This record gives sequence, C-alpha cells and structure tokens, in this order.
Amino acid sequence: MPSKEVLELLRKGKAYAARTKFKDALLYYNKALALEPGYPESLVLRSSAYIDTGKYNEALVDCDRALSVNQNYADAWSKKALVLFYLDRFEDAIVASTRATSLNGNDVSGWYIKGVCLDEMGRSDEAQEAYGRSLELEIILDIQAESKKIQRK
Amino acid sequence: MKTEMPLSKPIRRFITHTEELLDTEVSLLRQPETDPMGTLVDKYTYDIDTNVIIFPAHYVGLLKDFIIAKHCTHLLMKGAAAKLSAYRVCSYNEDSVYRGMRQIYLDALKDEAKKENKLPVQKLIQMLFILFTHFNDDVNEIPWNAINNASVYHSMPKIRKTQLYHIMKESKNDMDEMMDQESIIPRRYFVMNKAMFYARDMYLAKTLPADELMPVLNIPQMKKFNHLEVKEMLTTRWTQTAWYQSKVFGDNMLEIMEKPLGPVDWKEEATLEHYHELYKVGVLVTDNLLSYMTMRDWFVWDTPQNLIAANENRDEYEKSALKKIFGDLISDAWGDS
Repeated sequence: MPSKEVLELLRKGKAYAARTKFKDALLYYNKALALEPGYPESLVLRSSAYIDTGKYNEALVDCDRALSVNQNYADAWSKKALVLFYLDRFEDAIVASTRATSLNGNDVSGWYIKGVCLDEMGRSDEAQEAYGRSLELEIILDIQAESKKIQRK
Repeated sequence: MKTEMPLSKPIRRFITHTEELLDTEVSLLRQPETDPMGTLVDKYTYDIDTNVIIFPAHYVGLLKDFIIAKHCTHLLMKGAAAKLSAYRVCSYNEDSVYRGMRQIYLDALKDEAKKENKLPVQKLIQMLFILFTHFNDDVNEIPWNAINNASVYHSMPKIRKTQLYHIMKESKNDMDEMMDQESIIPRRYFVMNKAMFYARDMYLAKTLPADELMPVLNIPQMKKFNHLEVKEMLTTRWTQTAWYQSKVFGDNMLEIMEKPLGPVDWKEEATLEHYHELYKVGVLVTDNLLSYMTMRDWFVWDTPQNLIAANENRDEYEKSALKKIFGDLISDAWGDS
C-alpha cells in the first residue's frame, strides 16, 4: 500500500485532471512518484496526463514501467492501448486492448479502442463486436450515473 | 479536425466531410459538466473562428460518437444555409414578446377562472415571459432534432444502436419537462409543449425500425423494453401517461412534420445543396408548427446574432410587454430585484 501522502497527492492530481488542468495534475503525480517511484497507479495516472498533453512517448514509458511492476494491471494495459493508438501502432494497440479487456471485461475504453484499431486494420466484423461490447457497458454506466444524479437531487 | 481522440471510422470520415464541405474546422472538447446531449458552439451563431462540439467527459466510446454525428449534421445545415442563402433562427423582438405574453395572459385568465386554487398574481405575471422563452427554445430545437436524427440514421447505419439509446434518454428527459409546473401553466400550453415532443417521438419511432432494438436486450436496466419494437417503446411511454390528451394535438403535429419531411431523399449525396434543402425543410416544419399553435406572430426569423441580442435584452422586453398589458398596475421596479 502506498503512503497516505502519496494517496493524497494522487487525489489532488486527479481533481486537477478532472478539471482538464493537466499541467497541475502532472505536478502532483510527479511529487507522488518522487516519493514512491514504482507505484503503478501513479505511473498510469501520469501517463494519462501525458496523453492529454500530447506527450505520447512519455506516456508509453510510464505504462511499460507500471506493467513491469504488475503484468496484470488492467488499467495500465488499457492506457497503453490508447497511447499506441495515438502513435498509430494499431496492431500493438489491439494486443494491448485485448489484454486489458481480458483482465477487466468492463473496460469501456479498452473495448472501444480495440474496435477503433480493428476498424483501422480493416477487420470490420471484429470491430463491430468490440464496439457492441463497449456500447453495452457505456450505456450501463450512463444509466447508473443518471440514477446517482437523480438520487442526489 | 483539431482533436486527435479515438473515433470510430464513420465519425472521423463524417467530421472530415463536414470540414471539407464547409471549409471550416471542427474541434472536439470533453467537459465534465456539460449537457448529456452535448453542445455545439459554431461560427454561424457566435463570433468565433472555429466550431466546437462539447460532450460529457465520461462518454469515451460510441455515446460520444453519436453526439458528434448529430451536431455535425446540424452544423452542416447551418453552414449550408449561411453559404447558399442565409442562416436564420426563430428570434423575438419587443413587439413579438408583447403579442406572445398577451396571448398567454389571456389564456391563463380563462384557465384561472375555472380553478379553485388561484395562482398568486405575482406568479402568474412571472410565468408569462418564462413560458414565452420556453417555446422559443423548443421551436428552435425540436424540428432540428427530428431532422438531425433522421439524417444521422440514414447516413450512418453503424451507430444506430447508440442513436436508439440517446433517443430513448432524450425522450424521457423531454417528457419530464414542465411536469413540476403542470398546475401553474395554462392547459393549452402544457398540452402544446407535450404534443411537440410527442410528434417528434412518433416521427422518430416511424423512422427507426424495430430490428435496431437488439443492443439493449442484454442490459438489465432496459429489460422492461424487451420484445417491444422501437415504435411501441416510444408510444407506450405516451399512452400510459397523464399526457394522453396531448395525443390529439401531437398526431396533428406529426402530420405537419411529416408533410415536408416525407419527400426528403435521405440517401441523396451529402452535398452542400442537400443540407441546404434539409435546412429549408426545417424552416418549413417550424413555420407550420408555429401556425398550428397560433404562435406565428410571437417570433421572427432573424440572424442568430439577433437572437443573442434579444436574449440580452430580455428583461427590457419583458418589462415593456408587462407595461403594455397591465398599464400602471405594474410598477417600474418590476423585475429589478
């Protein structure tokens, strides 16, 4: 388990990222990684902020570092699939997203990236299957989010 | 395209097609707290250089793709109108506000005469302009929504499943509109409002065939719609509700909508001219709906900039209309607090 301090830094970073303030988010993720360099969640969060700021190669390095610590970290595979998509490495992105969705079948983004990359490779039927799974999950999440919103009101 | 986020192939092609046809740029923007149906901020409406489609940040897959497709279609209609003729929206001015508010007031008086629990005068006066602007928003939205949906349905078969979900969601939200004000609003306007949404839903129910329902069968929350056709799903909502009386008006409005929409060749090549034709159909549908609701003189076709200015002057327009309707009974300080 990471220290309380690291968790707090990650919480703050996520809050900035949610408000699309990625540079501020990066500052907090860097601080967290300075305290615990190999913590996979910090690495994946930072890779996400790197993606949002267009630093795809840096994002890929962080994903690979996270996976070197934990080969079964689904979020890291999912993020890696996204980075590889941005780097136009569709074949590799399919491999990464397949790994992500087999570790976590409810990964909307993983299924969607897989669909997009399969589509790019001209594998339309397989793409439709991945899109279909992604849509089902996305609808379930949306319905749940709507219910929560209604409850809050 | 200014954003490199992952998009399904048909959507990416459609954005490129939109940019090429209009010779403009489309940007995509995720935002946590935006309208679930997304927002289009375009250069034909606002004084900006590029067009932005904003969608909820948690939509990472096909749900965002449909929002993009819908807003691109609308953008194409706006842009085609701007390039080939003139892009106009339903706006209002001081005189038209007076005509609208006066009509609502007269109808409200008739309703109030029959009510046991009278509406406090203050509330009744406040309601006049709120209702007026509400209809302005609706007539600027509903006909275009029907056209956008029909166009996307025919041009992008691969996102029909997503479209169905969005339509169901939107229909539910729209039906809830005004419900908490049902006892305040004059019956006629409550029914007209519901009837417009009813007509749109019925039109879409006819447009989307049953076999598109398949994707939702495995979703527990949507199991109740199992075995129902799309048409049944949308009509069931209406026939089992308190708004059944809206059906009579709604059926007439459906006919009004179908007349200009019926001859549209949705499969026609997606040229600028095609979208200009769609725009003209939208204007015609809007005009016909306004005539049916006897609101033709409430609004004026003018530039989007005129509507923005009208919205900025809305307090003045409201005050002026109230002065004309109530004379000295309304103090100059009305609405200042």
